[in-house]
Amino acid sequence: MTDAIVSLTDVHKYYGTYHALRGITLDIRAGEFFSLLGPSGCGKTTLLRTIAGFEDVSSGTLLLDGKDMARVAANKRPTNMVFQSYAIFPHLSVAENVGFGLRRSSMDSAAKARAVDEALEMVGLKGYGTRAAHALSGGQRQRVALARALILKPKVLLLDEPLSALDKKLREQMQNELRRLQRQVGITFILVTHDQEEALIMSDRIAVMFEGEIAQLASPQDLYRRPLTRRVGEFIGVMNVLPATVSGQEADIAGLGRAPVTPDQAPSGMPEGTAGAGIRPESMSILYDGETTTRRTASGEVVEVFYYGDMTYYDVVLPGTTKPMTISMKNVAGRPVLDRGTTARIAWDAEALVLFGDT
Amino acid sequence: MGIRLDKEARAGLTLIAPPFIFAILLLAVPLTAILMLSFFSQSYLTLDTTLTLDNYRTALTEPLYRLLMLRSLAISGCVTLATVILAFPIAYFVSFHVAPSKKSLWIFLITIPFWTSYLIRVFLWKVILGYNGVLNSSLQGLGIIDEPLTFILYNANAVVITLAHAFAPFAILPIFVALERIDRPLLEASRDLGEGTVGTFLRVTLPLAMPGVVAAALIVFIPTIGDYVTPQLVGGPSGLMIANWIQTLFLGQNNAPMGATTAVLAMLIVGVIALVFVFLNRRFLRVRR
Amino acid sequence: MKLNLNWLKGYAVLYLVFLYAPIFLLPIFAFNDATVIAFPLKGFTTRWFADLTTTPALHGAVLNSLFIAISTAILSTCLGICAARAGARFSFPGKQGIIGFIMIPLVLPEIIVAVSLLVTLLQLGLSLSSWTVILGHTLICTPFSIAILNSAFATLDPSMEEAAYDLGETKWSTFRLITLPLVMPGIISSFLIAFTISLDEFIIAFFLTGAEPTLPVYLWGQLRFPAKLPIVMALGTILVAFSILLLTLAEIFRRRGIAKAGGRDTGGFL
Repeated sequence: MTDAIVSLTDVHKYYGTYHALRGITLDIRAGEFFSLLGPSGCGKTTLLRTIAGFEDVSSGTLLLDGKDMARVAANKRPTNMVFQSYAIFPHLSVAENVGFGLRRSSMDSAAKARAVDEALEMVGLKGYGTRAAHALSGGQRQRVALARALILKPKVLLLDEPLSALDKKLREQMQNELRRLQRQVGITFILVTHDQEEALIMSDRIAVMFEGEIAQLASPQDLYRRPLTRRVGEFIGVMNVLPATVSGQEADIAGLGRAPVTPDQAPSGMPEGTAGAGIRPESMSILYDGETTTRRTASGEVVEVFYYGDMTYYDVVLPGTTKPMTISMKNVAGRPVLDRGTTARIAWDAEALVLFGDT
Repeated sequence: MGIRLDKEARAGLTLIAPPFIFAILLLAVPLTAILMLSFFSQSYLTLDTTLTLDNYRTALTEPLYRLLMLRSLAISGCVTLATVILAFPIAYFVSFHVAPSKKSLWIFLITIPFWTSYLIRVFLWKVILGYNGVLNSSLQGLGIIDEPLTFILYNANAVVITLAHAFAPFAILPIFVALERIDRPLLEASRDLGEGTVGTFLRVTLPLAMPGVVAAALIVFIPTIGDYVTPQLVGGPSGLMIANWIQTLFLGQNNAPMGATTAVLAMLIVGVIALVFVFLNRRFLRVRR
Repeated sequence: MKLNLNWLKGYAVLYLVFLYAPIFLLPIFAFNDATVIAFPLKGFTTRWFADLTTTPALHGAVLNSLFIAISTAILSTCLGICAARAGARFSFPGKQGIIGFIMIPLVLPEIIVAVSLLVTLLQLGLSLSSWTVILGHTLICTPFSIAILNSAFATLDPSMEEAAYDLGETKWSTFRLITLPLVMPGIISSFLIAFTISLDEFIIAFFLTGAEPTLPVYLWGQLRFPAKLPIVMALGTILVAFSILLLTLAEIFRRRGIAKAGGRDTGGFL
């Protein structure tokens, strides 16, 4: 790929005998918002630190902007990082923190001061320059860390779980701002996160990692709708997986019955015989008394109800199965929430099914 | 093997090398030398380097050695017990009943006397406890006693009092640290589950503070058993300890091999007791986990 | 509970009195116009302090002790920085053992350190001097320095250094601009504590000193002469005042360090 700003080819990383990265091959395009998503210990932070230059690769090549980085140290790379702890220097003021990277630049001091002011304004901290760094709130520290990393106009900005320390409201606000900032500056952002929702909201593309390998690399929509494996499907959002038997273009799904399937619904290849059939909670709905539908139907017993305000999640056990499936329903005025123990009629769509080779 | 491990290990080893080499030259080499010397013997002015166990035989059979070792153990045992028992309530008070902002002031006040000239502090006790000393002259002046008290200077009592005073802050700090580490909700949980003040103290606070108590005992015991100044100044003949005898052998009697043997034996005693303490601490820590 | 607390408070006050009682006697007898150290007091005088100024041997001992204490403080703080940094930042084979070995003097009676060093130095044919005392003092002060510096280096977030490096600084300028300022309070504490220990240490100095005694060794010699005791009291008063001043400075630096890092004060030196 010619427009790749970061290009990794078969990158391996060992710590002693521990194999942290197992053959990562990946191209990240200039100007995109890219996320590395995975559970803790999957190697996503190691991968980010490898790109930053804090870790050497054990084998494989890493190109940044077309140049081999094997012999380039972190302080000479066109990348800057926002750390999980923010790493705001406590003995310096906000302006000194933001202007830290300019110490070696050829700008005169007036130009440096202007650059610091602009950077602070960009992250919404205009006039905070003289404050002591340790007096800042969590959200403000995050903005200072962003301004400090962006002031050098790096080719790639690396963000290591930058929002995990913030509370829910502030996190949502910062997600919004990060996205806006990325569009504004046009710099490639690489975000490490374990929060699948955050990755879906923010990213142009997402690489899902398990055990040092990339399990799937796709846009948020493809990732959600067409997960390659059952594990990816269950990691991103909720995925109900039922045992199924596939023969040709038809699947016989436990509790739901027979349905036609197309190769498009089996992203990792059409299975034959025993398989898993996945369906998202919102691709099914509960039919109320007297409601009719042209969709496929089934029925099951409501065993648990989770009321969220805007939504209600029902755990429903289908006949012939033991594991409950989750069905989500939007709460609408005039429609009561069902009680536990009711037998519910369910409507679902065959097109929403995803087939996995593993059950 | 990973490149990073090698690189990191190399950086770490390079950095640790100066203090490590220093410790080898000034600790390992001298301790080895003293161990070797303990197997030599002194004949008048010349050192006989034939290896012999004679020094150890002398040390283990002559009553003087046993007396000095047992007395040193007894004195520092008493000092340890006294300091730890006296220190615990103070540590408890500062940790639980002093406002957080005042805690470091209290600890500071407690630590100050420890850092002021040790020699002068010991000497002051001689002045206080002496025949015509501050205590006796005051008590006589007030008419409480007619004759000066003599059981308080130039014997083991004086050594215990002086050492207990000198090492008091040493005992408070580790206990204080252990008490500070106790999560306060644990105590509330104990109260919530029906224990009273005393029950909570005995069943929760004390067991959790034990590692601190053991550490306090250890760091009081080790320097006191090897103390030279206090027995020399306030101990009199019946209060002398092992360190005084080592000094006499080296500088007074010019019998370095015998002095080395005594030092090695003292080290062995300290080592064994330290191991016992460390073992105790392990047990408490395991209970904690 | 109320009664309990009052008892504890009363005990704490008594305990402080016990701790400070001997020290309070120092100035009392230093200004007392009598050669015998006993009550009742005879009258006020400053002549014992005046005598101090006319004792050249004492001045030599003070200068010698200061030289030894400053050298020891510098050496043990430098060694402590190496060990604490290695311990906090790197993993390497034998780490626990090596650091444990360096810390051994902390659990070794000083008399043993003193005689073993004496034996070795004499065997090597080195003559005793201030430098042999400095070596011995550095050996026992380094573990204290390491203990103090360890907490300073361990609380330093490794991302701080990575952030500076990431922003274009070199390894060395990162150390100078970030690491050093952040651990500076620890370095100052370590320096002051090592200085105080060395200035006060008697037994190792007693064994290893050459022709020029240190202050404690000189004091030890004076304690044998009853006529000199009031002068010793005057000297003691000055020494105690000086240590309190040093400790207060150390404490102020420690607190300032905590405030600077935005942390919460959690208590004492060790």
